[in-house]
Amino acid sequence: MAIKTLIGLEIHVELSTDKKMFCNCRNQYGADVNTLVCPVCLGLPGALPVIDRQAVEYALRAGLAFDCRIADVIRMDRKNYFYPDLTKGYQISQSDHPLCSGGYLEIEPEAGPKRITLDRIHIEEDTGKQLHTEDGTSLLDFNRSGVPLVEIVTNPDMNSSEEAKLFLEKLRNTLKYIGISDVRMEEGSLRCDVNINVVDEEKGTKTSVTEVKNLNSFRSAVKAMDYEEARHMKLLNDGESNVKETRRWDEVAGETIIMRRKYTADDYRFANEADITPIPVDGEWIEDIRRSLPELPHAKKMRFMEEHGLSEYDAGVLTQSQELAHFFEETLAHVKDAKLLGNWMMGDVLRRLKDEDKDFDEMPISSKDLAELINLVKEDKINNNTGKKVLREMFETGKAPEDIVKEKGLIQISDEGELEKIVMETLDVNPQSIEDFKNGKDRAIGFLVGQIMKATKGKANPQLVNKLLMEKIKER
Amino acid sequence: MITREQIVHIAGMAKLKFTDQELDEFEEKFGQVMGFVEKIKEVDTENVEPTFTINDEEGTMKENGESQTLSREEVLENTVESQYGYFKILKVVE
Amino acid sequence: MDITSLKGWEMKERLLGKEISSREILSAHLDMIDRKEKDLNAFITLDREGAIEAARKVDAKLQRGEDLGALAGIPVALKDNILTKNLRTTCGSRMLENFNPPYDATVVRKIREADGVILGKTNMDEFAMGGSTETSYFGNTRNPRDLSRVPGGSSGGSAAAVAGHETPLALGSDTGGSVRQPASFCGIVGMKPTYGLVSRYGVVPMSNSLDQIGVFGRDVKDAHMMLTSVSGYDPLDATSSKKAGRDISLAGVDSLKGLRVALPEEYRNLRITGDEKIQERFRETVKVFEDAGAIIDYVSLPSLEYSLETYYIIMSSEVSTNLSRFDGVRFGYRTENYETLDELYTNSRTEAFGEETKRRIMLGTYSLSAGYQTENYKKALRVRTLIKQDYERAFRDHDVILSLTAPMLPFELDSMVNSPVDMYKADLYTVPVNLAGLCAISVPMGDVEGLPVGLQITGPRFGDSTILKAGLGYERVVR
Repeated sequence: MAIKTLIGLEIHVELSTDKKMFCNCRNQYGADVNTLVCPVCLGLPGALPVIDRQAVEYALRAGLAFDCRIADVIRMDRKNYFYPDLTKGYQISQSDHPLCSGGYLEIEPEAGPKRITLDRIHIEEDTGKQLHTEDGTSLLDFNRSGVPLVEIVTNPDMNSSEEAKLFLEKLRNTLKYIGISDVRMEEGSLRCDVNINVVDEEKGTKTSVTEVKNLNSFRSAVKAMDYEEARHMKLLNDGESNVKETRRWDEVAGETIIMRRKYTADDYRFANEADITPIPVDGEWIEDIRRSLPELPHAKKMRFMEEHGLSEYDAGVLTQSQELAHFFEETLAHVKDAKLLGNWMMGDVLRRLKDEDKDFDEMPISSKDLAELINLVKEDKINNNTGKKVLREMFETGKAPEDIVKEKGLIQISDEGELEKIVMETLDVNPQSIEDFKNGKDRAIGFLVGQIMKATKGKANPQLVNKLLMEKIKER
Repeated sequence: MITREQIVHIAGMAKLKFTDQELDEFEEKFGQVMGFVEKIKEVDTENVEPTFTINDEEGTMKENGESQTLSREEVLENTVESQYGYFKILKVVE
Repeated sequence: MDITSLKGWEMKERLLGKEISSREILSAHLDMIDRKEKDLNAFITLDREGAIEAARKVDAKLQRGEDLGALAGIPVALKDNILTKNLRTTCGSRMLENFNPPYDATVVRKIREADGVILGKTNMDEFAMGGSTETSYFGNTRNPRDLSRVPGGSSGGSAAAVAGHETPLALGSDTGGSVRQPASFCGIVGMKPTYGLVSRYGVVPMSNSLDQIGVFGRDVKDAHMMLTSVSGYDPLDATSSKKAGRDISLAGVDSLKGLRVALPEEYRNLRITGDEKIQERFRETVKVFEDAGAIIDYVSLPSLEYSLETYYIIMSSEVSTNLSRFDGVRFGYRTENYETLDELYTNSRTEAFGEETKRRIMLGTYSLSAGYQTENYKKALRVRTLIKQDYERAFRDHDVILSLTAPMLPFELDSMVNSPVDMYKADLYTVPVNLAGLCAISVPMGDVEGLPVGLQITGPRFGDSTILKAGLGYERVVR
């Protein structure tokens, strides 16, 4: 197709440092209004910013994880604009000398792997929060003012909302892996703006870029991109020219609404932040940070395939988050059967979490307990179906699997003598089924197994039941 | 030279307002000042690095100092209006 | 004995010798303030109670035989852009007419720790912009040497308070000469230390890459005592220097013999009209140095020719962003007349800022705006490098540079307001020092037409000790 959609993203990520970017106030979400504020982050006259080492190191982790070029010196700028949530009339940010530039993330759409390249990652400070009340006033809380941020800017390399979604998921995953952010969109620790337009490569025509803001979840980001893609396609088809504009996603209406048209570029009057003497970034520092980085998702996935013999799909799912992958390997140490464990994790465990709308870090079962459960099944102490029931019980009560099995008397009956007695009794009262089976109705066996399971409250070893049934029928 | 229109535009960015009479005076004085600083364009600065800091030392980062966090009363002490612990301004339309 | 005629260091000696008490020192100065303030208007806010309390503590410590700090019992006045906790700090502006800081500047904390007695806050040009203290929202300050004349600025209140014996010591701030020029106008010693020597934390910035706290005293020893009490590395100021120890010594100086003095050739061409008598006095002073054994040499600092332009671009650019925080929302003046966000900002700022402040914000906004930033702001940052390099060359084989402090005598009140450019030119000798981050001291070199004029001794970065010693040497020769 000659018409192509171009999507670039600007993502703000709050870093989960102990302290704010330029002062010693705690960096904490959800504290009482205006209680984590000092002269520096309130922008009181005379207060001066001093840069936080942890914030820089977190940003460098991101830069290294995405293969960016790292600047040789940290230099800050002032981005000047007036807004009530901005305490100084300027934001301390980085203009023409970002901490990290270039770099990429690889996504895996159905068509095959694709690199999404980054323009830059720079460090800056967050603003406060503004609340609009019903009585016509605005209220301001500056607890968030001065929280460290990285702004990650991609090139317009994504051609569909699907690719953008994959990118965002991969990005969120990696940022979580390297432990620099909570990346919670609902708490605002990850915020995403979309730049989108369409081009007709044959005719050489294109629409002007639209910036979409107010995207509160990946889902609304995807919906907004789809909406805008359609709108831009129509503009292009109708041959209408549009100007650059900023639009806001309205979740309820399911549409984007114009905020302002940009006839001229915003003039932020960037100036050197002379309060912060430039800080050199030396190679040794970078190497220390590189060494402290955990195994990244892609490398981990490859290793899972190689070391544990998992399929690419399974390895991909199991390395989705660091917690999940770690849990898998911890459990595997006790189970020793990667395929079996993989099936349990990807099947029952993850499905259950998803149903309960929980992240993996909210997993209520320990790796030790899960290993025990799987081993009970593996060693034929309980059957597979009973195992699933026990797992459900573990999710609900947090009890150890052996306690549940004991309490409910779920140990599988594998005693041949005991089972034989039950099989004989069952055959005695169901002569018609024997007749049916002998007349070629295989279904009759199923009925008989069901009766035996009923009699044993599901505890009978199914393989053994099958074997005994066949033997005893033949004898009749 | 700078036009009156440009002066009004700059004032808008700087969030300042001038009366017509002030603008007349401004145009003249501002013109003088701008004419005065024009001279800097003569200087050859090819291959000269900008001075981002006059210090010849490396910049420093935060030391594990104590926090300067203020009480909420101190935070709000100098504002004109506050409510429920927030700073308050009349609702403003963009 | 008139206590107020003593130097600060003399007061300290007598206090430690238990000849006088801290309360007596304070009372003498408060009496002087009561007598003179209606003429001078050097202070915006006095803190009698705080001062009495501080003096009482010093006397109690002395009585108990405890160790006392470097400023024991000595009154200090602070320019009103230095934040004092729970003591109003206005910057000479309507914008901060009622601003009550919740924290102390680092220098204030140091003065308290050194047992100094803070008298109050002195008058200044609004946000330190001006050279006459006439742009203050709180009225003019007058020159104690001639009440019809300005004390200079922007730290005019501090200079007048010291010259008028209302206080022996005072702090000012110096962005382009705002300590040295009023020192020259009032006939006292004023020093701008090396950028990074004194913490700027808690000092309301005017132009943060140029601002530096400066000190006033009636002689070099007093200036030295004031400086060493407030200097030093401060982890709260990322531009303060780790080299900024307190070892700025006056030891081992008794003459000017062998001092390698440079005179910039460019100043011969750059003088403004009417300063011939001051130049004559300067030549006599250079002769004094020469006669005392100093080695006089001429140097060329070619980029000095562009220093005023460079200064005005960088200074105004930084001013425009530093003053953006005054928007009426969190602190400072808020207009009552607004319906939109833009009106809240624009009306608050327009009503509360004075004319000179607005002019500089405008010039700075222009210099940073898209399309002009490369040819103005960024160009100026490069020229600044050239100026710095010129000085580095000059100081390779010279100890100090001598010049005038100001090319003019203290002028009459209300006589300079017409031409901003003429006013800017008065800063010709002082601004290059700030651009290059150097240190310089202004010491009185006698009178011209019955009015004081200052000699500026400039030193390299961290040459603070050198210029203080040179000043002291000169003081001894002419005494």
